[in-house]
Amino acid sequence: MKGFKPSAPILLLLPAFVVLAAVVLVPLLLSLYSSFTPFRLTRPETFFVLIGFRNYISILSNPDFWWAFGRTVLLLTIALNLEMLLGLGLAMLVEKAARGQRILRTLMMFPMMFSPILVGFQFKFMFNDNIGLVNNALQSLGITQDAIPWLIESHLAFTAITIAEVWSSTSIFAILILAGLLAMPKEPIEAARVDGCTPWQTFRYVTWPFVMPFAYIAMTIRSLDVARAYDIVKIMTDGGPAGRTELLWTLVGRTAYSDARMGLANAMAYFSILLSIAFTVYFYNKLAAARAQIGAEW
Amino acid sequence: MMDENASARLMRRTLTVAHRVVLFLAMLVICLPGIWIVLSSLRPTVEIMAKPPVWIPQELSFDAYVAMFSGIGKGGIPVLDYFRNSLIISVTSTVIAVAIGMAGGYAFARYRFRGKSGMFLGLMLTRTVPGIAMSLPLFFVYARLGIIDTHFGMILAYVALNIPFTIWLIDGFFRQVPKDLAEAAQIDGCTRWQAFWQVEFPLARPGIASAAIFAFLTCWNEFALASQLTRSVNSKTLPVGLLDYTAEFTIDWRGMCALAVVMIIPALTLTYIVQKHLVGGLTSGAVKG
Repeated sequence: MKGFKPSAPILLLLPAFVVLAAVVLVPLLLSLYSSFTPFRLTRPETFFVLIGFRNYISILSNPDFWWAFGRTVLLLTIALNLEMLLGLGLAMLVEKAARGQRILRTLMMFPMMFSPILVGFQFKFMFNDNIGLVNNALQSLGITQDAIPWLIESHLAFTAITIAEVWSSTSIFAILILAGLLAMPKEPIEAARVDGCTPWQTFRYVTWPFVMPFAYIAMTIRSLDVARAYDIVKIMTDGGPAGRTELLWTLVGRTAYSDARMGLANAMAYFSILLSIAFTVYFYNKLAAARAQIGAEW
Repeated sequence: MMDENASARLMRRTLTVAHRVVLFLAMLVICLPGIWIVLSSLRPTVEIMAKPPVWIPQELSFDAYVAMFSGIGKGGIPVLDYFRNSLIISVTSTVIAVAIGMAGGYAFARYRFRGKSGMFLGLMLTRTVPGIAMSLPLFFVYARLGIIDTHFGMILAYVALNIPFTIWLIDGFFRQVPKDLAEAAQIDGCTRWQAFWQVEFPLARPGIASAAIFAFLTCWNEFALASQLTRSVNSKTLPVGLLDYTAEFTIDWRGMCALAVVMIIPALTLTYIVQKHLVGGLTSGAVKG
């Protein structure tokens, strides 16, 4: 016996696994455990009291939680679809441009450079009911006399958050879809035109299938990061007015740090983790499928 | 016949104009918020608050920036300390994450082993844990270890945050380097280690640089974890510092805008440098699989 000799890839991946185990996996197991306790930060002894599924039961019977959950899913669905559509539109506009493609591409990436917290702040500033750019413009143009309470009325606040979210992430879609459009071979499009396809048919049956994997890469990247909406909401409304824009993530933060109910918050956090994982796995599978389809056709 | 030609030409010209107009509007929407922030940071507060609004700036000054960097006395917020913390934490964790990511990315790009795609997905899944959800157990563990509000704690968290994505990117870049090159070098007498550093690494270097910049930006911009794991000037970063302005009853919009500009400039410059490689790295696996 010469002893166990690990293979090269395992050795190379070892540091990554060690760090991730220490900083992500172990703390997650800890939080899983504490979700079965009535743990409060202010009373450390509660960490060792097991209460079974009581935290989960109290969450599931709490309408506030369900509202936050539903709102989160709604926001993600609306935002991701809009980002996809607008990103596709933007990419096609830029691809059609005859001159200045380089500078257009750079401009297009502009929002990607803003951190979510900055996006939140900037839209909080622009949507301010008193001095914000949006209301000022509406009033100067004579469209309305009143100050529209963008961040105070609940539906308007939700809209404002969605706009901020879409503004910040559309460029990821646009830039990746543009990469797809540029990488696409030109012959199939010409062949389609010769065969008498309308522009719509060419787009639908030739361009779109080719660009789809790129769109799904963007989706996968986005879904790894869906929770960045937390930063935006935190600074724009902080879940207000009266909890009307509370998302799953802001609710977790509030329960944990303002109410100091760690056990309960950890149980909620597990729902948010499962939500993120569901999104990621879904798009990762879509990506694999889209790739396979292209591989078969080209 | 003439008529048909003329109308076709007219049609094409209308389309071109429409295309330009839509493109211009789209770019306006994309750029306007940023321009507005820069502009507001240069205007006096009176003008920002004016009713009816003042559209054309009457006077521009760098007062907000001077106040911000002149220490705690004037602006009230120790921007310099936050800036230093952000820089130390971001640079250190980027260096470590890229070193680990290079090893991992190379393993994924060059070796076949059991459970490879499962492992890859598993790595990505660790990244899906929302920052705020991650912060709860980390807060608890860090409090026990006494590393809350330290650079070390933040660096550790950010290394873990960056590893999955760094591996994804670097894997893509190594895949673009033909395998034959390294094999040829090995036939010529290089060891695998030498072949890596002298042949494959130089070719993948631009890509690795972009992965590094991407990791740096993630740290530079991160908020959810930092807001819970930092407490004071010891380790507070710029994004958390931005919130200092809203904590007060009257929001100093001009000061906030100035800080926002300070945060965005490094990000802007770095992203501009790497944009081309970044897209290449992310999409290298798109069609080839």
